[in-house]
Amino acid sequence: MASTEHGAAADWLRQQAQPVRRLLRNAISYGAAQSLLVCAIAWLVSHVLAQAIFAHAGLADLRWSILGVVALVLLRAVLLYRQRACSDAAGRAVTQNVQRSLRERLRQLGPRWSTGQSAGDLVTRLVDGVDTLAPYYAGYLPQAALAGLIPTVVLLAVGLREPWSALVLLLCAPLLPVFLILAGRAAAEASTRRWLRLRRLGARFMDAVSGLSTLRLYRAAEREHERVLAAGEGYRKDTMAVLRVAFLSALVMEFFATCSIAIVAVMVGFRLMSGHLGFAEGMFALLLAPEFFLPLRAMGTQRHARMEAVAAAEGLVDILAAPVAAPLAATPVATPKAAAPNLVLRGVHASQGDSGEVLRGIDLTVPAGSRLTLVGPSGGGKSSLLAAVMGLLPLESGDIEIDGHALQAADLPVWRAQIAWLPQRPHVFNGSLRDNLLLARPDADEVSIARVLRMASLDHVVAKLPQGLDTPLGERGLGLSGGELQRLAIARMCLRDASVLLWDEPTQHLDAATAAQIEQQLDQFARGRTVLRVAHRVRDLGPQEVVAVLVGGTIVEQGTVAQLRRPGTAFAALLQEDLRA
Amino acid sequence: MNWQRRLFELMQPQRGRMLAALGLSLLASTAGIGLMAVSGHFIASMALVGAGAAAINYYTPAALVRLFAILRTGGRYAERLCGHDATLSILARLRGWLFGRLIPLAPAALAEQRGAQLLSRLRADIDTLEQSYLGLWLPSAVAACSALVVLVVAACWSGWFALLLMPLLLFAGAWLPWRLQASHADDAAQIDRDAEALRAAWADALAGRAELTMWGAEDAFDARMEQLTAQREAARARTQRGLARADAMLAACSGIALSVALLIGVLAMQQRHLDGPGLALLAMLAMAAFEPLLPLPLAWSRLAAIKAAAQRVFELADRAPVVLDPATPVAMPQATDLHLREVWMRHAQHGEWALRGLNLDLTAGTHLALVGASGAGKSSLAQLLGRLYPYQGSVTLGGTALDQLGADDVRARLAIVEQAPYLFDASLRDNLRIAAPDADDATLLRVLAVAQLDEFLRELPNGLDTWVGANGVNLSGGEARRLAIARALLVDAPVLVLDEPSEGLDALTTAALYKSLAVETRGRSVLLITHRLGGIAALVDEVAVIEQGRIVARRTVEGFAAQTTDSLRDAG
Repeated sequence: MASTEHGAAADWLRQQAQPVRRLLRNAISYGAAQSLLVCAIAWLVSHVLAQAIFAHAGLADLRWSILGVVALVLLRAVLLYRQRACSDAAGRAVTQNVQRSLRERLRQLGPRWSTGQSAGDLVTRLVDGVDTLAPYYAGYLPQAALAGLIPTVVLLAVGLREPWSALVLLLCAPLLPVFLILAGRAAAEASTRRWLRLRRLGARFMDAVSGLSTLRLYRAAEREHERVLAAGEGYRKDTMAVLRVAFLSALVMEFFATCSIAIVAVMVGFRLMSGHLGFAEGMFALLLAPEFFLPLRAMGTQRHARMEAVAAAEGLVDILAAPVAAPLAATPVATPKAAAPNLVLRGVHASQGDSGEVLRGIDLTVPAGSRLTLVGPSGGGKSSLLAAVMGLLPLESGDIEIDGHALQAADLPVWRAQIAWLPQRPHVFNGSLRDNLLLARPDADEVSIARVLRMASLDHVVAKLPQGLDTPLGERGLGLSGGELQRLAIARMCLRDASVLLWDEPTQHLDAATAAQIEQQLDQFARGRTVLRVAHRVRDLGPQEVVAVLVGGTIVEQGTVAQLRRPGTAFAALLQEDLRA
Repeated sequence: MNWQRRLFELMQPQRGRMLAALGLSLLASTAGIGLMAVSGHFIASMALVGAGAAAINYYTPAALVRLFAILRTGGRYAERLCGHDATLSILARLRGWLFGRLIPLAPAALAEQRGAQLLSRLRADIDTLEQSYLGLWLPSAVAACSALVVLVVAACWSGWFALLLMPLLLFAGAWLPWRLQASHADDAAQIDRDAEALRAAWADALAGRAELTMWGAEDAFDARMEQLTAQREAARARTQRGLARADAMLAACSGIALSVALLIGVLAMQQRHLDGPGLALLAMLAMAAFEPLLPLPLAWSRLAAIKAAAQRVFELADRAPVVLDPATPVAMPQATDLHLREVWMRHAQHGEWALRGLNLDLTAGTHLALVGASGAGKSSLAQLLGRLYPYQGSVTLGGTALDQLGADDVRARLAIVEQAPYLFDASLRDNLRIAAPDADDATLLRVLAVAQLDEFLRELPNGLDTWVGANGVNLSGGEARRLAIARALLVDAPVLVLDEPSEGLDALTTAALYKSLAVETRGRSVLLITHRLGGIAALVDEVAVIEQGRIVARRTVEGFAAQTTDSLRDAG
């Protein structure tokens, strides 16, 4: 199981390299060119040393060779810079591509998927996870190619001048990759475990800091503190497990590399002593021996980068492969933008995750420009019905029609542009009061902002804030009271100026006086628009108000308040309970 | 105190292992240099013997080569293990330390911080601090020491070479990294700052995805993310280019040092100051001298990021809690009468007053409703009683001033359901057990029944193991609220404060909830904060009206109902 997951993530990582092929190829070419220069430098140095020591050559004879070393060294530095520029650019390009496709994907998955996730975990995957990808493309991929190329070049160069040393290197070389693979297996497992722990740590911290006040009120903060310490300790152990394997494989490789170099050195030394070998050739082999192992050793480090990337990619592939709940219509039909459309639901069935079927055959009509109020006990499916109308909850059967056009075939963004929605639990975005208003309509001017603030009776509250509209809002609106937040959401809704209004309990969190004041404003605002709203306060409904009573996902009664107010109806029971209060 | 010294002080407990890692690293890199130098000398000597020179003792250099090889590989391995274990221990400790510092700050002193931001500091910033020792100071110290060793050895063979090598080493090991960090300080800090912004933006988009979708604001959000990413990658590109340039220059310096070694060596041989093996040794020494400097550019390019992370972390840790526990808390009195006299309170230091001279008595056993318009200060009172915000004036619990009692002792007596109670990304059971870690399932089921969640629970296939989701996303608003009430009941406190318990509940459920709470809390004090008067008579005996931060009226619930009806009649 784990290995197939690794496989999928590794395949995905490889696919992402496609758009940056050219950059990677260039990086590899620059790397290979450097190895030729290294051979040339080694040859010149061994030549200079041999001439100086054995032919007693002076500076006059050797100055061009020494200048040659300088020139080659500078050229090599330039190539090194070019190589790095290419591989770094590849890493950055992939990072940006992946981020783009993740954004696209999260859009497709929609709100129902997003809210079901642990924010801390998802944020860790989306930011820190993506950050671990760049080293795979900038480091691992070019290095993997060079680990084959450079030793071959070096081996050929040594082989031409000192075949025996080349033979030693050739015999030692295969041992390294074998060890690399053996160590890699164990390290990959450990690496995945570590990354999972990191994600869980992220989720845990986010949750703990978000609910810190609650933890304090229940004297649980110290217990959580101990858990954080324990989680940190667990992370240390997992990381050390990964590192121990990585260090051990590095040790083994270094050991082999050092042994091989030592064998070459001793062999060269004794063959020199016996006079079977020229000094220049021996020195050349000795200078190049470490260069032969260098790219293989570097692979140890780069494999670590690869493991990290694979582990992180698993978390990303999960997101990219999550089933999309509501596939968009293949060729969306543009919905005519009526001033206020009429809304018809026919036999609508829908299910929601663990809650099972939440809508069971809803038949409902909201004529253009009129208002319908949904009432009923909590959990009856009122909010789900609104979600279905917004196209956020896919239908299992039945139809929703907007002015006779099926919603399933409609261009959803165009349809949604006609809706102003007031959610039950409005989200307060990171930013100022003004930012939060403008999100609903970015081009709104000061005049319309002032107007909606008045409509939501928020103008006095804003006037009292020292920074006014520029007051930054904390998490979940810290700084404003619950009622003020609700009014902010109402103002935001009014700013939309749409032809269809969907309200989920517009005056919750509000005291009776403020609620009455705002209801009046909303009544005015709703004139000429199609309104579908959810209400809890049944007794405040006027006698001509059209209501539908929703119980257990079906509409049990429908009509005006005056009609339904007779004894024995479910509506009357709701009303009585509300009045008794 | 500067941030480095503070960081080192926090690392004190691992000082032994950190020093050991330094020693081992020094040993390994010196051995590496020794290995190269001795090999060069050995090969040249052997070749001279082959060319007819007198035989030499080749056992000693061969043994030295073996010794250096073992020291280098073994030392590197031991250094890595030791160093990483030390820094990871520090990391775990730092993280726990910071979390401990955050506890007393919530929520008053963290008002403008979002969860994702705190997560960023707690996770990524602390991770960055790890690099300060292993990534920065250790390689720098090792590079400095081994450069000294190289210069001393070089001076033994050729003073001129040592003299010329010194500026090269200084340029590559000091000037290059220093320039790099100075010119890219802003970029390095920006990469992390943008990461924090990205985390916060993602967290926002996840929670507010429905709004973004419905407002057609997804394009705008994506554009902002794209811009943020592009800006971050641009800063990264600049840093990476600078780093690549520095690394290339370092490589060039190493090559130039080799050329200088050849030049000086050949000259010295001409003047008979140097023998053949000496020349080979100098050449190899020149090549090895720069190896310990290789990690320096990368290490120093992170300096600004480490500094910024340290400053962010210390800024958070240094904040003063706004509510301080008394140094020697007074023993908790038996009585649980609450008296508030002329109480003033506000959420921010220069903010608007939320309570303005509030007077309120809640004698033991009283069930009181606190009603009033939104923004009148109802929830502020609950936060004050939970010791989350400071106040002025006098608040006594059982005759003792609230601020002389330990905050946790107070919380054992006052169980508070906040207006926006947080539910954790855990099971129903674990969410309840936050209030009482040892409670058994029977107790949990009982409080859930009191909170009118028994029917809801029966329909859940996984029962108490049902996953609640972050901030209770898997529950409806009313269910989340009632779960929070059940959690508060587990505290078994003599005073229960409920902030808007009927929010998201229909009239039927509210009535049933109030009725069962009335039975459950018989003999205990209840402060019911609400703006919905519906059904409160089932739970409370008295009603107090709050207006603009002070109590303006207090009546029995019957009297209050009569008066409300009258005023409605008058108004109508």
